[in-house]
Amino acid sequence: MQRLTCPLYLAAIVAVGLASTSAFAQQEPCIGNSGPLTGPAAFGGAAVKYGAEIAIDEINAKGGVLGKKLRFVQYDDAGAPPRGVDNTRRIALADKCIAIFGGYHSTVGLAQVDPVNEIGIPYIGTIAANTKIIENGKSPNYMFRVSAKDKWVAQFLVEQAIKSSKNGKIAFIYENTGWGNGAIPDIKAAMQAKGKELVATETFNWNDQDMSAQAIRIKDAGADTLLIWGLDREGNQILRSLDKIGYKPTKIAAWGLAGNLGELAGPLANGVRVMQTFSWMGEMDGKTKALWDKIQKKYGLKDPSDLKMGSGTANAYDAVYILAKAIEKAGAYDWKKVREALYTVEHDGLVAKYSPAFDKSNPERQDAILPQFYKLTAWHDGKLLPLAQTPYAVSQ
Amino acid sequence: MQAALQYIFSGLAMGGIYALVALGFHIMWSSAKAVNFAHGDTLMLGAVLTIMGIDAGLPLPVAAAGSIAASCIFGVLLERFAVRPFAKSATSIGWMLTTIAVGIMLEALVTMEFGGFSRPLPSPGVSQAIFIFGAGVYPQELLIPVFAIAVMLGFGWMQRRTLIGRAMQAVAFDRNAAALMGINVNFVFALSFAIAATLGGAAGILIAPVTQASSTMGLIIGLKGFAVAIIGGITSAPGVVIAGLAFGVIEKFVEGYISTAAREIIGFSLTILVLLIFPQGLFGKREVFKV
Repeated sequence: MQRLTCPLYLAAIVAVGLASTSAFAQQEPCIGNSGPLTGPAAFGGAAVKYGAEIAIDEINAKGGVLGKKLRFVQYDDAGAPPRGVDNTRRIALADKCIAIFGGYHSTVGLAQVDPVNEIGIPYIGTIAANTKIIENGKSPNYMFRVSAKDKWVAQFLVEQAIKSSKNGKIAFIYENTGWGNGAIPDIKAAMQAKGKELVATETFNWNDQDMSAQAIRIKDAGADTLLIWGLDREGNQILRSLDKIGYKPTKIAAWGLAGNLGELAGPLANGVRVMQTFSWMGEMDGKTKALWDKIQKKYGLKDPSDLKMGSGTANAYDAVYILAKAIEKAGAYDWKKVREALYTVEHDGLVAKYSPAFDKSNPERQDAILPQFYKLTAWHDGKLLPLAQTPYAVSQ
Repeated sequence: MQAALQYIFSGLAMGGIYALVALGFHIMWSSAKAVNFAHGDTLMLGAVLTIMGIDAGLPLPVAAAGSIAASCIFGVLLERFAVRPFAKSATSIGWMLTTIAVGIMLEALVTMEFGGFSRPLPSPGVSQAIFIFGAGVYPQELLIPVFAIAVMLGFGWMQRRTLIGRAMQAVAFDRNAAALMGINVNFVFALSFAIAATLGGAAGILIAPVTQASSTMGLIIGLKGFAVAIIGGITSAPGVVIAGLAFGVIEKFVEGYISTAAREIIGFSLTILVLLIFPQGLFGKREVFKV
């Protein structure tokens, strides 16, 4: 009997503990983040950290928010959804952070939808772009995002492809993962909206070393423009396989190719266009330059090309400001009030002009960065530059 | 026709990689009757250390030589601490777990030191594709199967013609009898792992310009290399090389004429089928364990 009651007591204590957090509804001035700090995508965790910490430093230098200094708390999920869920609970219930930022992996983001909405802590995505992370059908929905959305990215890429294609034949190659498979319906829908069909749809797995079979089929289909939904390592193999069969379509890619493709593929990467929300490369304007100097100094980076997934840094930077403004508008470190306030924030940010950041009446508009702010960049001699600063701009 | 030729070239390059890994398994097995299950990670070590050497300012040949030497030492240490204590008799299997564990640890360590990104290993062999009857191939890719065949011939010669090679065969046949004949069994074990790791390190450097170097590059090639070693018959060097090259080419034809997604399904179905018909592998000899 003793044995049975003991866990019951424990459960009761935990339950009281949980209830008390929501009863007092007074959260801490910290922003949590679950992201990959180890493993192959560790750069994705670093990108978010850079942007968030720099913004927090700037805000704290001016006295913080509601008289309190903000903190950034980051936990490693290594890209594993269960760990992302654990971290979410830890950030919300143990650290009692006022908000949680999303990380690099869409699979983690999707797993966070349920715990975030159950607990009721505002979540702001900073990289992972899967459409369903935000458009999840929950109401009230605590999932927000200051990053790209695959559905809009697909529309953006298809528009660019149609613009650059001469014969109107467009092919699509995607990685066989949650991210890649999630993009097929988006790309197909975007094509249909323009009254077109893909002439070839091909797939590949992570770590595949040769894509000549796919390349030959795409060539045989007569495509002159190829949409790529994959990451740098496999992107390089795609370019090499295209090269081996002497086939040179225009290549337009989602931001998975924004890492080190230039280093991997060398001159073959020249002219590959990549969608981004922000670019640190090439000529920087004053605001960007000042920010880059801070990042460079604080984290010891040498060149903007060392900042992998730099869009994530810019997104996280803007997300902190949007959140800070929402907390001020809410007048309290309170999850519910901050969520409401997020819909009213106006902010002229690094990536976009947010007016307002989110729209309560439109479930699609829990995403802050509209497609009109997406940017097309292109690889040129090892650097990913804004398209206008490359020789490929004219052919558009 | 041109497409078929393309698949053959690309397949030979991939198959050459599998064959190189499988040869490593063969070398270890053919004396120690145990293998480093994470042999793919030895290739990774060779490639990654070379790039780290270049990063540190060493010229390519020095960096390559250094990383091959380091791979050799890794092989010796692995045998001493992760295989020998767990392979006391020919039927022990503890080494399976320990070698996999070492491989996972190595991968984690390399991810921390080297980062998560794939990195290129510069080589003149991948700067320009050459075209043979319209099918494109990088010279580096052609070098891979050639190197695999050279290793096969070299190791075969060593086994038949040198004292140490015969000692390795004797140890494989019956380690107790070999020890009674005055052969230092432990030395032979260590040597076979050292040879396999040295060749593995070199193979890693050879394939890295084609596959890119990353902490996870060894995983799939290690697994496929092992499958190929079993299909070919792990006791036969020509067997594993032929099986490796054939496996690579078949994969490409499946990708080309059926679908990319079907590749692994058909590849591993073939593996099971071959084993059902030839339990010793296509070219393997029946092995008798005396209990």
